[in-house]
Amino acid sequence: MTSPLFKRCAALSIVSLFALGPVLLFAGGAQASYKLTPYQSSRKNAGTPNSTMVKKNSDGVIIAYGDSSITYRAPSSALVTLGAALFQQNCASCHGTQANGVPANGTSGAYPDLVGLGPATIDFWVDSGRMPAANPRSIEANRRVPRLTHDQALAVSAWVNSLSPSFPLIPYPHLKNANVADGAALFALNCASCHTIEGDGDALALGTFSPSLRKIPSIEVAEAIRTGPANMPRFTGNLSDAQVNDIVKYVTTEIQHPNNPGGFGLGGLGPVAEGFVGLAFGVGVLALVGFWVGERDD
Amino acid sequence: MSDVINTKRSKQQALGRYGRVGKTLDELDDRLGVARGGRTFMDKIFPDHWSFMLGEIALYSFLILLVTGVFLTLYFIPSSAIVTYHGSYAPLDGQKMTQAFASTVNLSFAVRGGLLMRQMHHWACDIFVGAIVIHMARVFFTGAFRKPRELNWIVGSTLLILAIVNGFLGYSLPDDLVSGTGIRIAYSIILSIPLVGSYLAFWVFGGNFPGTTIIPRFFILHCLIVPLIIIGLVSAHLFLLVRQKHTQFPGKGRTEQNVVGSPMFPVFMAKTTGFLFIVGGITALLGAFAQVNPIWQFGPYDAARISYAVQPDWYMGFLDGALRIWPSWSFHSWGHTIPFEVLIPAVVLPGLIFNLVFVWPIIERKFTNDNAIHNLLDRPSNRPKRTAAGVTMLSFLGMLFIASSTDVLAKFFNVSLNDVLVSMRYLTVIVPILAFPITYRICHEIQALHGGGRRKTPNVVTRSEEGEYSATPSPRYVDDVPSHLEATPVPTYIHEESDESGDSGVRVVDR
Repeated sequence: MTSPLFKRCAALSIVSLFALGPVLLFAGGAQASYKLTPYQSSRKNAGTPNSTMVKKNSDGVIIAYGDSSITYRAPSSALVTLGAALFQQNCASCHGTQANGVPANGTSGAYPDLVGLGPATIDFWVDSGRMPAANPRSIEANRRVPRLTHDQALAVSAWVNSLSPSFPLIPYPHLKNANVADGAALFALNCASCHTIEGDGDALALGTFSPSLRKIPSIEVAEAIRTGPANMPRFTGNLSDAQVNDIVKYVTTEIQHPNNPGGFGLGGLGPVAEGFVGLAFGVGVLALVGFWVGERDD
Repeated sequence: MSDVINTKRSKQQALGRYGRVGKTLDELDDRLGVARGGRTFMDKIFPDHWSFMLGEIALYSFLILLVTGVFLTLYFIPSSAIVTYHGSYAPLDGQKMTQAFASTVNLSFAVRGGLLMRQMHHWACDIFVGAIVIHMARVFFTGAFRKPRELNWIVGSTLLILAIVNGFLGYSLPDDLVSGTGIRIAYSIILSIPLVGSYLAFWVFGGNFPGTTIIPRFFILHCLIVPLIIIGLVSAHLFLLVRQKHTQFPGKGRTEQNVVGSPMFPVFMAKTTGFLFIVGGITALLGAFAQVNPIWQFGPYDAARISYAVQPDWYMGFLDGALRIWPSWSFHSWGHTIPFEVLIPAVVLPGLIFNLVFVWPIIERKFTNDNAIHNLLDRPSNRPKRTAAGVTMLSFLGMLFIASSTDVLAKFFNVSLNDVLVSMRYLTVIVPILAFPITYRICHEIQALHGGGRRKTPNVVTRSEEGEYSATPSPRYVDDVPSHLEATPVPTYIHEESDESGDSGVRVVDR
């Protein structure tokens, strides 16, 4: 015969096990901490070149993608002098006077070495306002109002490129012939898994974010695809220039100026915003109407 | 002249006292005997308290779902056959997609009023499930589920499950990128069930994911089978409601043996018909002005494609949240895998929650040893333990719901996604545990308060002859209940109606 006291103790212990078990387990899981790397800048895992149209130079670096949808141009060498001055003013305190990632009194490897990255990379980071970084020690350099003008960004990339001429050059997409529908399909296949299918961007792991694509100019979209800034993979041979062109067209037209009937877009937050509106406005207003129709004296 | 025939008057006399309508009803009564039942129905008493209107929101949004749903079935093609889209939406032109997706895009863009109907259908669904939940919360916190209404509580809880299931099925039908991901998650959840999982998944999907049969199957379930069951259960719900009569809040003239409120005809019918139109109007406003589920932006589903930041509709949020935050536990041995990280949050947890909901009336009877029949409702503050238990459950579900938007929170507050995830794990456990004693405490405080839980009464400010002002509380709480709730005589079946006081039509009816 079991006493009620025993029963109560057993029930209590089971309940407390259920309540405390997850706490302990989560507490254990939280101990396994993670390590952050500044800018997550490994470029080793970039896209796999598999297109037969890709042309490489003797060092195995891709110099062309084989069709004329995008024109790749090196920045004008006339800008090199201006670029050198701008680099010393704005970039050298971290990247070093020789752009090799070694600042004065610093150690090698603390900041990215820019020599040989190609003008498209330099232009992207400066022109998008990510560089000069607001906080050099933060996990991410976020997009903001650019410190340098477009021409100044080109000048900086011209000077860095003059140290060791390299690829990719700055891409100028020709959007007239691009196919939006192909771009939409390629976007869903290659981009939506981070930038979301509506192009709004979202939080990725470990304090990194995929940026919103709503206001990015076409050259920067193409540069990002070809150079793979920060966490983004570098799409090289697996996307032809025509395909990149399609994606850029889709992003700069349908993502940035969507043909979007159906009323207010609710901030592109998807079902979270929809649920909020449905509950707060739909059910909430109807409950208020019920409150108005019904008796409420007690 | 006396033999001049007044045709109008003689016609009126021939029709009888109640005119053409009365005549028709008389004819019906002669054949079907509708008078007795009709009178009972017309005299059904509805308590006037506003919280009794919440269930009606659910009922009327369900009506809107039926009407807009019928419209959508005329244009939607439930087929997984692959077609090439050539329509007015340029970014999809030439893309290959299932007919289900193509027809949904077409009904949104090419059918007059189609997008409005689709959006109204979706909003009505969000409102339907939301109204069920707040109606259920009202029933729970006021103790309306107690004997003799346990059966109706179970019917209502089943309705909630069916509403959630049908919402998920309908959300999946367009076969867009986002809902396709949802179907994939459902497939994985079925797979996670030990022993039978893979057989069950193949049985439901007619083979491996995605297959071509799941859209037609979901269509039949969504448009025929589940709605039929819902209609049947709603009828049972309302039948039980009429049979057992409404509960009511305690007050002067209100006892366990009577119901005080407005009769079905004419007072309540006028109110409720107006309410139906308001529910329709709010749904139409949302459908017209607030975009919902823009599938053309998502594109067609393809197993190789995935979008980030995908959440389900809000009523599935607690499941998605549980899946997101559950630690990655799994069992691998003897050539078998049991993925506890899917099985527990997506199968065991909702099973436990809904079972708890179903048996709650029995649990409460066991704990309180209260086997009496209850027609008077509790104030939530007078039942602190029940209220605290309810708030605990709601806060647990609320935390899971919030956990389904970890990525949105991380983006919005600009913090690390991992930190949000870990904090949600802690909060989901801690917040409900804290919610119980806090609610319990608040209930006790309200009990101790004079007039707590009542509306505030105005102070009467008077100016004396000397010009001095003084404020005295109006004496509402002294006699507590307005006098018009005094019982008025009830007309019984077939007797001529006596002259009533005409005072807002409030009646008292014996049970």
